[in-house]
Amino acid sequence: MTATQVAVPSWIGVGTSVLLVGVAAAVAARQRLGVTRELLVAAVRSAVQLVAVGAVLGLLFVHAGVLGALGWVSAMVLIAGQVAGRRGAGVPRAARCATVGIAVGAAATLGVLLVLRVVMAEARVIVPVGGMVVSGAMAASAIVLRRVREQAVEARGQVEARLALGLPAEQAFAPQLRSALRTALIPNIDGTKVVGLISLPGAMTGLILAGVPPLTAIRYQVVVMWMLLAAAALSGLVTGRLAQRALFDPAHRLRPLVEVRTRRFRLRRA
Amino acid sequence: MSPTGDPGNVFALDGVGVRRGEAVLLDDVTATIRAGRCTALVGPSGSGKSTLLRLLNRFDDPTSGSIAFHDRPLMAYDVLELRRRVGLVSQRPALLADTVLAELRVARPALPADEAAALLTRAGLGRGFLERASSTLSGGEAQRVCLARALTVSPEVLLLDEPTSSLDAASATAVEETIAHLAGEGPTVVLVSHDPGQAHRLADHVLVLSGGRLVESGEVGSVRYLGGPS
Repeated sequence: MTATQVAVPSWIGVGTSVLLVGVAAAVAARQRLGVTRELLVAAVRSAVQLVAVGAVLGLLFVHAGVLGALGWVSAMVLIAGQVAGRRGAGVPRAARCATVGIAVGAAATLGVLLVLRVVMAEARVIVPVGGMVVSGAMAASAIVLRRVREQAVEARGQVEARLALGLPAEQAFAPQLRSALRTALIPNIDGTKVVGLISLPGAMTGLILAGVPPLTAIRYQVVVMWMLLAAAALSGLVTGRLAQRALFDPAHRLRPLVEVRTRRFRLRRA
Repeated sequence: MSPTGDPGNVFALDGVGVRRGEAVLLDDVTATIRAGRCTALVGPSGSGKSTLLRLLNRFDDPTSGSIAFHDRPLMAYDVLELRRRVGLVSQRPALLADTVLAELRVARPALPADEAAALLTRAGLGRGFLERASSTLSGGEAQRVCLARALTVSPEVLLLDEPTSSLDAASATAVEETIAHLAGEGPTVVLVSHDPGQAHRLADHVLVLSGGRLVESGEVGSVRYLGGPS
């Protein structure tokens, strides 16, 4: 099948679709949502990133092989760890907790799929499947970190009440950690419940657009959904446990949250 | 002279200071807390009362000086064991479970219902409260449940951080009666209070703090801060 048989927009079509960004920006500006600039930066950034990624992947698939693909996934894990870590800003060593959590979730999930030969050990498979795993793991880790940070502030009195009874830190924070993990898993569980009913998910849509019969395409999607559940659960759990350890000192005391320095992307005027 | 070495002392503080950056929260406090008595830490807001209280169960550590518990440095104790021996009830009642019985089983999951009921009685509540939903308790009832919960691990010292300051007058009176009853049963009580009248009603011994320094101490009737002889 050639590229022209697949329903891929031309570059002119891509250029035309920038109108849609204009629509979103207009809504944001008119409603004074305060996100117009961020929205435009995100749109430009996505285009630049995807063009660059498309070019690099083209080279990667041809020249780098399986090891190169795994290296690519590792780089994704590092970036995802930084992004998720920012959601837990204030939690000591948040980025490290997220990076380790995402790495464990991604390695275990992708490893099982490769070792059991559910997916092919080829660069053109590992990179996109790895990307989905890392992305799902990142979302779960980010939610866990955000909730852990909120709980460390909101539930400080309850946590200290348990500590005052002589309970160790992990028991004193257990209900808060459970709540954070539940919050992180709910979007995945809900998404898995309604898949195909109110949304046609990415992997399946991509395969159908590429001409694969729907009943074949769903096989991939089923694997993807289950893989995302495992990645989210494992990453959330590991990230949450590490964040919990970082929150307490050896004397089982809740540390004060570290000062947060906010960073904003700024557009430079030419 | 270091205030250690007397078996009647539960806590002995020697030159204790707490600094946070430039701020001095406690400065060179030397004092003792006697066994089986109710000691009140009084003074104006920001005088360091609660800071001092949180040192006694190691929710904070001093940045200078030392604290001994039964003549042994506080740091030498396993911190979890220490917190079971030195219970803390904070200003705002923090409820942790759905029912009062579950509340009393937070630190002792196997606590028998009869023992739980007896603890509630000691805290001034009846057995009928056992099955009550925590969310239906008034502020005063919740604080008395917190007192009963602290008693579940049989602490020898009870630290009470302004236990009535978040309550209305009627609830505060009821909680105060409970504290007076508990203090009379024998455990050592350390009470933080901004209310001189409450210190007068409950305490045997008083430590007066101001600006992080211990400015006066003595028996309740002899302390000028509480209107004693000048």
